[in-house]
Amino acid sequence: MVEILLFFIGASLLLYVLLGGADYGAGILELLPLKKWREEQKDLINAAMGPVWEANHMWLILIVVILFMGFPLLFTTLMTSLHIPMVALLIGIVLRGSVFTFRHYDAQKDDTSQKLYTWLFGLSSLWTSLWLGIIAASLSRGLIDLEARDFHSAYIAPWWGLYPLVQGFFVVCIFSFLASVYLIGETSHPELQKIYIRRACVLNIFLIAVGALVFVTSSLDGSPLLKDFISHPWALACMGGATLLFFILWIFITKRYAFWTRIASAGQVTLILLGWYFLYAPHAILTKQGPLNFFDVAAPTATLKQLTYALLVGSVFIFPSLIYLMKIFKSK
Amino acid sequence: MIDGAHELQQQIVATPFCQLHALQPPVTLPPMDDLLAARSTMAFSLGFHIIFASVGMTMPFMMSAAHYLYLKKKESHYLDLTHMWMKGVAILFAVGAVSGTVLSFELGLLWPGFMKYAGPIIGMPFSWEGTAFFIEAIAIGLFLYGWKRMHPWVHWFTGLMVGISGFASGIFVVAANSWMNTPAGFDWVDGQALNIDPVKAMFNKAWLHQTLHMQVAALQAVGFAVAGIHAYLVLKNPAKKELNLKALKIAMLFGATASLIQPLVGHFAAQKVAEYQPAKLAAMEGHFHTQTHAPLYIGGIPNTETQTMEWGLAIPGLLSFLAHNDVAAEVQGLDQFPRELWPPVVITHISFQVMVALGTFMAGLSLLYFYYLRKSSFPPWLLKMLVASIPLGFIAIEAGWIVTEVGRQPWIIYNILKTRDALTPVPGMIYHFYLFLFLYIGLGLTTLWLLYRQVSAVQKKKEIPHG
Repeated sequence: MVEILLFFIGASLLLYVLLGGADYGAGILELLPLKKWREEQKDLINAAMGPVWEANHMWLILIVVILFMGFPLLFTTLMTSLHIPMVALLIGIVLRGSVFTFRHYDAQKDDTSQKLYTWLFGLSSLWTSLWLGIIAASLSRGLIDLEARDFHSAYIAPWWGLYPLVQGFFVVCIFSFLASVYLIGETSHPELQKIYIRRACVLNIFLIAVGALVFVTSSLDGSPLLKDFISHPWALACMGGATLLFFILWIFITKRYAFWTRIASAGQVTLILLGWYFLYAPHAILTKQGPLNFFDVAAPTATLKQLTYALLVGSVFIFPSLIYLMKIFKSK
Repeated sequence: MIDGAHELQQQIVATPFCQLHALQPPVTLPPMDDLLAARSTMAFSLGFHIIFASVGMTMPFMMSAAHYLYLKKKESHYLDLTHMWMKGVAILFAVGAVSGTVLSFELGLLWPGFMKYAGPIIGMPFSWEGTAFFIEAIAIGLFLYGWKRMHPWVHWFTGLMVGISGFASGIFVVAANSWMNTPAGFDWVDGQALNIDPVKAMFNKAWLHQTLHMQVAALQAVGFAVAGIHAYLVLKNPAKKELNLKALKIAMLFGATASLIQPLVGHFAAQKVAEYQPAKLAAMEGHFHTQTHAPLYIGGIPNTETQTMEWGLAIPGLLSFLAHNDVAAEVQGLDQFPRELWPPVVITHISFQVMVALGTFMAGLSLLYFYYLRKSSFPPWLLKMLVASIPLGFIAIEAGWIVTEVGRQPWIIYNILKTRDALTPVPGMIYHFYLFLFLYIGLGLTTLWLLYRQVSAVQKKKEIPHG
């Protein structure tokens, strides 16, 4: 039962990163200078993200619901020890979720308000991605202290530091890289396509560089990621695969295979995330008192059973509708 | 290591949450301040979300009705209405979605001691709500952006699905709340929940009357608000009178019907509260002393010091009759409960009176509306009253939720867990409160401004071809 739920958590997180992540990235890309293409980019992003915007957000809700019903202790520990990053994350989610829709549905599209929406959307996308990365790093640092006696070690130390910050920027890179790749295939302007190809290449280099920094800062932080990877063959294989895809990706990008570039970049991000799963599974949170394991903290069987039913029955409705949604809007 | 972790786990599970992080905050605040700030944050977040959620789960039905009439009759007015309402739904849905996300996090951010127990017991309706909400999110994408991309009737159906799945998620969420009033589906042994049965928990004793009451209230509030806006436009913009009258009739079909059903549903709900939460009923009615032939007070301010009702108009025997269908029946008063288990009497009583008064007023107005609908002409004073009624349904919803939530205090899970024992150990809740207060005030004002721009744009745009 727990295995099925772990699959749903893992899959939801992956889909949130791949689909929702591209939405975050689109916001971040709108912060970059673009001269005369700014309006085109805005329309492009509205058309590409609009129909799937709310659906992409749902993967996060799904994770939250699975956590609080199936693994309540993980949920409460996260919301307590990481209270501050979670609040920061929420503010970002609220702002970008509303501003994106406001920009599109404001009946009077005057320059001032449109510029303000775009700026807020970009900034809140950057802000939220950063905090997502910080939270992800905090899970595996082992600084969450269940018996903390003072404010700093209870609520600040778990997420404060260079390593979580770099991890935050790593997520920013992943998201904006995904968005660039995704937008190559969405636009029919050759000029704009060229811009996104260039951005995708630059951001992919950034991704590798910041990824390397993640390893360096984690060692400085006392949780040597590289050593962990070497002792987990599957995680190492995923890392190797992601690195290998780097070369294949470049071939696709230079040959302008928009579809295969998308597949390769999604594959690269999937492998990065899978590597992370293999590294820590079935541990969910590493605390000062030891790891909290999904299997140990799971809710009683009756609850897990109901949750599994809901997810399986829900999937029967959700996946066909999602495929229909994609088919309507993504087939040209 | 696994064994060690397991032991740690047992130890954590066995420790009440408030002791788990037995912390000394850097600034020592009295514990009540954090509790009050957390409760206010939750109240504010819920009160904010409920408005958008009500619109999100009922307005798509009005939109679909207009869309249906357009597809059947091919009158452009109905298409204009569909577009106008669609944009309103889009804006309000977006704010509803994010404020709902905030709530799902806040359950853990503010009340980890509650979620530790409640998650496994009452998570089931939340998981169904998640499913329904997911479908709603897909359907709204299809409907908003799917014009001319799908068969017109398939497209119409996606709009209806937004309403159906939104309505369903409303039912699931309120069912989860009802469990806090009449907890079921577990055994409470030494501060632990054992023998959990999520199905029983969801279908607890309060689920039916609470969900009925809320869903009808949402139809009522949104129907009246939409009708009121169009009544204003009928008065203000004679050029578009026909369009706005059509809109008003669709909205009132929902709003007025719901308003006439609501008194019956409300009565049913109050009887259930009398049965399962007598302390809440006593606070709602300002009923201090257990007695037979209990009077019903219209208005009045309960004085908790003297334990009397001041200024209220008493109708002898009516409370006994309403609560138990018998004028001679005994109604339990607050004197049956230790003082520390009383809910805040004044707030609960006043909120209840406000809700009942507004509900009665709206039911009366609905009767008048149907009378003039038969004569197929609306006098200006009726339209003006509809304009004045725009916020009434929402005020009644807020008042009703204050009755439910404040009337359950000091309990978070009735007779099981006190709200203060569920509070997060994180200090400085007051900052959390101000942060979300400012964020939501900003968001609320922006939404109102956008709706205003929406309405005025549509009304202006239509005048050009005519003039």
